[in-house]
Amino acid sequence: MNQAEVSKLVSKLRVKVLPRHRNLPGPKGPEGRIDKLRKTVTGLIKFERIELNYNRADEARQYAERLISEAICHGDCHKPTMDTADFWLLEKELVHKLFKVLVPRYENTKLSYTRLYNAPKPQYGRSIEKAVLELRGNPYPDLLNNKSNNKLLIQNVLLDAAKNEYRQTKIAEMAKNIGKKEGVTQNRDSKTNEAPEKPNIS
Amino acid sequence: MALAMRRSSSELFGAAKWFIRRDCRVLSTVPERAEEATVSPKRERQVQSRLRANARNPNLSLRHVYPEFLPDPNPKWRNSLREKLERSDMLKRRSQIDIPEFYVGSILAVTIADPHAQGKTNRFVGICIERKGCGLRAEFTLRNVVDNQGVEVRYDLYDPTMQSIQVLRLEKRLDDKLFYLRDALPEYSTFPFDMDPEILPEGTPVPVNPVQVKLKPRPWLERWERQELKGVANIEEHLKEKDRVRRELRATPWEKYDLMKQYRKTIPVEDQNDIWAEVNHQLRQLQLTRKTTSRKRTFTTPKPQLG
Repeated sequence: MNQAEVSKLVSKLRVKVLPRHRNLPGPKGPEGRIDKLRKTVTGLIKFERIELNYNRADEARQYAERLISEAICHGDCHKPTMDTADFWLLEKELVHKLFKVLVPRYENTKLSYTRLYNAPKPQYGRSIEKAVLELRGNPYPDLLNNKSNNKLLIQNVLLDAAKNEYRQTKIAEMAKNIGKKEGVTQNRDSKTNEAPEKPNIS
Repeated sequence: MALAMRRSSSELFGAAKWFIRRDCRVLSTVPERAEEATVSPKRERQVQSRLRANARNPNLSLRHVYPEFLPDPNPKWRNSLREKLERSDMLKRRSQIDIPEFYVGSILAVTIADPHAQGKTNRFVGICIERKGCGLRAEFTLRNVVDNQGVEVRYDLYDPTMQSIQVLRLEKRLDDKLFYLRDALPEYSTFPFDMDPEILPEGTPVPVNPVQVKLKPRPWLERWERQELKGVANIEEHLKEKDRVRRELRATPWEKYDLMKQYRKTIPVEDQNDIWAEVNHQLRQLQLTRKTTSRKRTFTTPKPQLG
């Protein structure tokens, strides 16, 4: 039974956190794990969308979320936060990006700051699970291109064409009916006039 | 004669310590206060941020005084219902017995019912070297040197046989755990049993005692040189070149930046806010009643119910 540490306050992450960290095996042990994650977090902040192995992506995602939430909580005038950003971002111009671009972008969001997708893997052979890790609000086109309200989707193009055709036929029918209806109404008028005579004939 | 000698020497030492303490208290600072003071004007422009508003909840300061009200950070051992019931039980126990604010490094006097003699009590005075556990299992360890023999007693904070906890000297030390007192010279963990409680003026922050202890020569119980202790003065004297090399090899400087490791050891602000909102009112009430009745409070021992 442990007592929670109270010296530091952290805000809750909006992503799932496993009870224990994943080891990322390598010859350098825990230090190597952190080095790998530093590279990944730097790449994520730099390119905003990266494809990599699932385990490493999930670990790096948590660290990136923590880094951004620390930056949002404490701002750029907090020495420990600046040290942390300096440690995690290997390219120093990204520290400016973190505090000047990402903090305003995510300051008032209620969602997580990153998204993790399962990436396709080759059908045959032993393969490691792949994933795509991206920052929300990145400038690239959406990965999940299954929006049913997309106008250029082939189904929607066909449906639009079908609707248009149906509308055209309806209009054509109506146009035909306009002339007929006048004739019909005239006939009906004449019929109503003649109607009382018919039973007499039968 | 020997007893008298020991008594007088300990008193002399106690008096010397008292003088030293007076000086230290003026110089001491509280780290969390110092951190708050360095707020820049630039920060104020982003006042509306929700995260910061969460972190500025005044209830959060309770976490230093009542750390055992926070649940275990390990998600495998979490159970929201059990935690809630435990909190209500802890409050009930606190309404029966005055459990004061204390920290690692404070000097306490604990009176507890003697399990082997009905109707009798044991009183032990010592420095708190560790606080651990959460909920009803919260515990603390007192250390003292009695007749040149180091004694440590572990007490459960919410033990029903506990009769009183009195803080003789409220202060913090430079480290979170003072296990190195086991290998330090005995004078650093010797406290007289007839020590008078020192009363701090109200509203003063808890003083940090910057005393640095001197360790006895090796062998030690632990490898103190690898633990980055602030409260030890002479650790380098006892090290060989081999130990310094191994300390370098074993150092983990990256752990300071391991954000998820820190996260897994703490309870997030949002969860803490819920917990403190739940217990805040009763804890404040208890604090008020303690202020008014602390002088009057007496503990009556239950009468023996033999035939």
